Amino acid sequence: MNLMPSRSDLKVEAAPAAKPAIPMIEIDHVSQVFQTSSRQDHLALSDISLTIDAGAFVSILGPSGCGKSTLLYIVGGFVNPTQGTARMKGSPITGPGPDRGPVFQEFALFPWKTVLGNIMYGPRQQGVKAAEAESQGRALIEMVGLKGFEHFYPKELSGGMKQRVALARTLAYHPAVLLMDEPFGALDAHTRTRLQNDLLNIWERDRKTVLFVTHSVEEAVFLSDKVVMMSRSPGRIKQIIDIDLPRPRRRTELLLDPRYQKYVVDIERMFDDAGDDGLQP
Amino acid sequence: MTLRALIARLAPLLACLGLLAVWQIAALALNNDSFPTALESIRAIPAILDDKEALINILASLRRMAIGFGTAVLVSIPLGLLMGRSRGVASFFNPLLMVIYPVPKAALMPIIMLWLGIGDLSKTLVIFLGVSLPVIYHSFEGAKAVEEKMLWSGAAMGLSAVERLTRIVLPAALPEILTGCRTGLVLALITMVTSEMIARQSGAGNILFNALDMGQYDTVFAMIIIIGAMGICLDAAFERMRQRLVRWSEPQFDIPLSFS
Amino acid sequence: MNGRGVTTDLLLGLIPITLLLAIWQGTVSFGLAPPTLLPPPGHVFMRMAEQLVTASFDQEILATLFRLFAGFLIAVVLGIAIGLAAAVNPTINAAVRPMVRVLAPLPKVALYPALLLLLGFGHESKITLVAADALFPILLSTYYGASTVEQKLIWSAMAAGTPPSEILFKVILPSAAPSILTGCRIGLVISCIVVFLAEMITSTDGLGHVLITAARTFQAVDMFVPLITISLLGLILNGLLQAARAYLLRGFPEV
Repeated sequence: MNLMPSRSDLKVEAAPAAKPAIPMIEIDHVSQVFQTSSRQDHLALSDISLTIDAGAFVSILGPSGCGKSTLLYIVGGFVNPTQGTARMKGSPITGPGPDRGPVFQEFALFPWKTVLGNIMYGPRQQGVKAAEAESQGRALIEMVGLKGFEHFYPKELSGGMKQRVALARTLAYHPAVLLMDEPFGALDAHTRTRLQNDLLNIWERDRKTVLFVTHSVEEAVFLSDKVVMMSRSPGRIKQIIDIDLPRPRRRTELLLDPRYQKYVVDIERMFDDAGDDGLQP
Repeated sequence: MTLRALIARLAPLLACLGLLAVWQIAALALNNDSFPTALESIRAIPAILDDKEALINILASLRRMAIGFGTAVLVSIPLGLLMGRSRGVASFFNPLLMVIYPVPKAALMPIIMLWLGIGDLSKTLVIFLGVSLPVIYHSFEGAKAVEEKMLWSGAAMGLSAVERLTRIVLPAALPEILTGCRTGLVLALITMVTSEMIARQSGAGNILFNALDMGQYDTVFAMIIIIGAMGICLDAAFERMRQRLVRWSEPQFDIPLSFS
Repeated sequence: MNGRGVTTDLLLGLIPITLLLAIWQGTVSFGLAPPTLLPPPGHVFMRMAEQLVTASFDQEILATLFRLFAGFLIAVVLGIAIGLAAAVNPTINAAVRPMVRVLAPLPKVALYPALLLLLGFGHESKITLVAADALFPILLSTYYGASTVEQKLIWSAMAAGTPPSEILFKVILPSAAPSILTGCRIGLVISCIVVFLAEMITSTDGLGHVLITAARTFQAVDMFVPLITISLLGLILNGLLQAARAYLLRGFPEV
């Protein structure tokens, strides 16, 4: 196992597939200050620098309030950093766009559209013709396992199903980077593990770059190539850990794998030692 | 306080002044005898307030409004609460209320006048009816929304059905009830004015139309300002009281959802 | 909710209405009230049936409906436009909020004499009054709905490639639809009430005028007819709006 020392800028290397010159995502000395209602300044993120290569599955792991979601939103272009810049393929990120697709914990599905309507939204927005968008949409619906639910409204779906739709909706406009903000946090444990498996299966197909925010150590180790550990507020990067486990990963095998268990235990210990409570297995 | 905060606090006042300014300019521009300027109308106000007759009329209006509003609230809140918690009671009254709802209560004036004469009673009754409906409705909605589990906790603590209604449902539904009361207050004022415009005998509405008939246009507009001021003051006072009473609740949307 | 529950509800609901009718009939039959003041229900409904097929009465209904719709539609267009604008633009918001706070609690019916002076005794003054009264609930509900749109919905749409100029119509407006339609419902009820009252205060035609004319000639039966007519109209229009609402909001969870 590879434990990299804690330094300001750390390079997170890609999975063996690609070795591009320009990294997919660069986060360059980013800090974020928020004004709370009591007129006080809250330092959410402190001098974060991080590089992510194409095709890497990277988890951002930390306790509640450490700013990990904020970091994701900055990469997504939804929030502008108070200091520093975020770049994608060398160009600064100035706003949201279809190259960085979000999947939120609250699903954020359009309630006035059906499952198919939600999924077709992105392609239609990009000018894809209706018939083409529909057939693409149907294929995606089948891929996420929701065949038959095309004309259902989000309110008629369970949490797990909604998240599948959210994922399909984002995949529909082919983003190069997937930004996932604790996507399985609102689901029960059983659904969560199923969706984790499904996510990996889908990801294996085209190996998009994924930034995955979570507070679950097990989830981070199971899914990722790299785990970026963040400290409590103000958020800083504590450590970055390479997860050297073979793919494809099967949960039932992995749970009994001593290497997996060691990763989990070591990471938990690191958080415990730092007194960063609030972390769940 | 920063300039920005100051402007924010004074904003309603600024809005009033702005509207009066627009009125003034429009009136001067139109130069119509029947459209006096804001200043002319404001100058006519002291004349009204000095006139004993007019003052009695206005106070009578307010008194009728108070009685109508008060009795309506006393009757409607319990009824609404009961409807909210008992499906039977709700099903019993709902259709009846839905039928009465779109009937303009002030429109009942002529009929009620036929039965009860043109005095205070008919006007007060109409105000009572006008206020009851929104208060019942909001009490109903507020009571309905009370979490079942809160009541179970109460029952486990040994509270009887009536006690649960008064000590749990009522306070829990209070924010919604007060919203209904605020709507009712606005309605009371409107019903009062309208009923007086229809059953001309006494009151602020009566003064308005008398002035209209006699061509005293600046009095007409002055009365409008007075009635408008009454509405704003009553609403502001009620809102202040409401905020005190339900400080604990989630921040309510502060602009009033007012009714005609 | 099972079928039997609905039927019991319906039956239970009919009781007070039937009771009311029974009391009404009883009061007349037992001579508790003279028929000149309180005509029996039968007479009233018969008279109403008569009137409904009379051309002149239908003209009155049309006059009332015209003013009602015109005023309501103006209120809808203005209310939604201003409400949306105030929700998305801070400057407009700063200008609109204090004005609404001042104007909303004002009994706009008090402005009616002013409107009569400025616009005459015909349709215009009434339509303006209806619009002025129906405007605020619609504006407020639109503003409320538009300003409480879930941020993540907007972000999802932006990430999918929606330019900021389209967010208003593609995300905010549909998202605010439940609130807007609730406001429209309130506005519609208010429109029914106000148009009738305005016609009662001064008018030469319309249902309100019919009632006043009947009052002046002490025709009790003829007084009930327009009242019941406007109630029925209100119920029908409300029902239509609810149906439209159910269709438009079919995707939304029960609000």
